[in-house]
Amino acid sequence: MNVHSQAAAAQSDDGIALGADLLHVDNISLSFGGVKAIQDVSFDIRKGEIRAIIGPNGAGKTSMLNVINGFYHPQEGIISFKGRERRRMRPYEAAAQGIARTFQNVALFTGMTTLENIMAGRSLKMHRNFFWQMLYRGPALNEEMEHRRVVEEIIDFLEIEAIRKTPVGQLPYGLQKRVELGRALAMEPTLLLLDEPMAGMNLEEKEDMSRYVLDVNSQLGTTIALIEHDMGVVMDLADRVMVLDYGKKIADGTPDEVQANQAVIDAYLGVPH
Amino acid sequence: MLYREAGQFKTSYQADQAAFPIFQDQLAVWAILAVAFIGVPLVGNDFFLNSIMIPFLIFALASVGLNILTGYAGQLSLGTGAFMGVGAYACYKLTTIFPDVNIVIMIVASGFFSAGIGMIFGLPSLRIKGFYLVVTTLAAQFFLEWCFIRIAWLYNYNPSGAIEVPQREAFGVILTGASATPVTRYLLVLSIVVVMTWIAFNIIRGRIGRSWMMIRDMDIAAELMGVKPLNAKLSAFAVSSFYCGVAGAMMVFFWLGAAEVESFDVNHSFLILFMVILGGLGSIKGAFMGAAFIWILPILIRAAPGWIGIEVQAATVEHLNFMLIGGLIIFFLIIEPHGLARLWSIGKQKLRVWPFPY
Ligand SMILES: Nc1ncnc2c1ncn2[C@@H]1O[C@H](COP(=O)(O)OP(=O)(O)OP(=O)(O)O)[C@@H](O)[C@H]1O
Ligand SMILES: [Mg+2]
Repeated sequence: MNVHSQAAAAQSDDGIALGADLLHVDNISLSFGGVKAIQDVSFDIRKGEIRAIIGPNGAGKTSMLNVINGFYHPQEGIISFKGRERRRMRPYEAAAQGIARTFQNVALFTGMTTLENIMAGRSLKMHRNFFWQMLYRGPALNEEMEHRRVVEEIIDFLEIEAIRKTPVGQLPYGLQKRVELGRALAMEPTLLLLDEPMAGMNLEEKEDMSRYVLDVNSQLGTTIALIEHDMGVVMDLADRVMVLDYGKKIADGTPDEVQANQAVIDAYLGVPH
Repeated sequence: MLYREAGQFKTSYQADQAAFPIFQDQLAVWAILAVAFIGVPLVGNDFFLNSIMIPFLIFALASVGLNILTGYAGQLSLGTGAFMGVGAYACYKLTTIFPDVNIVIMIVASGFFSAGIGMIFGLPSLRIKGFYLVVTTLAAQFFLEWCFIRIAWLYNYNPSGAIEVPQREAFGVILTGASATPVTRYLLVLSIVVVMTWIAFNIIRGRIGRSWMMIRDMDIAAELMGVKPLNAKLSAFAVSSFYCGVAGAMMVFFWLGAAEVESFDVNHSFLILFMVILGGLGSIKGAFMGAAFIWILPILIRAAPGWIGIEVQAATVEHLNFMLIGGLIIFFLIIEPHGLARLWSIGKQKLRVWPFPY
């Protein structure tokens, strides 16, 4: 099988029914020297849902996303995505399999414009070889235009037309987060990981972002895993919530169940263990 | 009022993504090309061609090469001089082994040798960054200089240790050697530089150029977008070294006529780096501005006092030149890291809204 059809297979519908397991995380443990960031955590993400991961600062939420997309390699445990098991993989392999993400501290390409950043999200889908790239004609130009059209749709969807040609380093924080979402969407992921997409935003920006997340989920059918500190947002958006505390999973269930859970209340109120 | 984009609506993404979306800019590019190809050969004397235009173009091409690596891919290198040397020695060996092949083909072919060497010395960039990478490229510089001296095969065991450009002709025209006219050499250099600059421009605005900038700006996010650091960094080293190699080969074959290791020493690495910094990191246009500035300014400083009848000692001129360039580099590093190219676009922006302040 060549690279092309492999990529196509990864992107094409994976035959996983709505509501069935898309991602399985089994008994993951991750530590940095003496720091146990994640301890024996298992959970799943179902296709089509919005799955929230919450917990106090330092609970291991970001570490969990880093494990899922291959930045961190857990010492123990197995991850299976789309039914395929893996122990170790590079971030670009995770990307090729359809996992995209945004970062807690925006990680945009600051020297590039909004348009270029979102085009960057199409990298995996562009294949024209060096020869055509040199000429910027024929197939290379057609490919560029084809993806530019998709990128323009994303720009319309996120209402960022006005900053299309602005270097993202010059944008305010709220807009940077939006561009970062656009860049992740450009990958047309099966699973989208959002690390505190609303952190540092005002109420109006939060409402906008919530709307985009819901629209992505319902219109594009993208499965979303979301880390968020704002409980109101989590309760509104999430189908299911997992709670981490000191690297351990302390609760998992619907927003209502989790909210009523005594361990969760204690963790958030800082009751000593 | 003349420089406006008003009324120039872009009807397609293609037009929007064109190299020079504004009509006046396209006009300017064609005008510059016309002057360069027709005007300069007609009016330029031998001094102007030999001492100003040919070296300016060659250094501009090397700056484009280094800018690809440093400005676009974010990998700092002090090995530019040596990579130029690889191109020059490769071209010399190629044309002495195959004297009948057109020299222009050999010049381009020699770029592949420096691309290969550049990739080998780019391998450490997969592990190390910043200062430590600079040190490894410096090591490459000294190692290659050592090769240029010690491996006598490279200069065909010439007792002087130099490579001397043999005469090469094509279609009855002498292209290299002492009998080649400055106009011929100038036109060859210009043609190669124009084509390669156009190609650099194309690569940079496409997928591959984006992958370089992604690695430069945020390598972890780049990896997450599916860009393999190995491919992006090594391709940047390869393309960059290719450009430097061709520039080095042209430097010897179309300008100096003969060269030894001093022509490719670390001073040349710094010279090209200063051109890139002064012109603007991450700008092809800047590479040309920086090369023009650093190459032509000293010539002007040397000549200017004579025009107004003042005698200045040569040594004083040299000092003045060093101080000026040094001061400007510090100025640009601190105040405007995007160099002359950014000053240029700020000026253009002002012109666009002129006569209104905003
Ligand atoms: N690369 C690393 N090296 C060392 N320790 C790390 C690393 N990444 C995370 N940790 C540690 O792992 C623990 C969990 O960190 P993590 O960033 O996953 O928390 P979090 O739940 O995302 O917190 P926050 O809400 O503050 O973002 C912390 O104690 C942190 O210091
Ligand atoms: Mg975090």
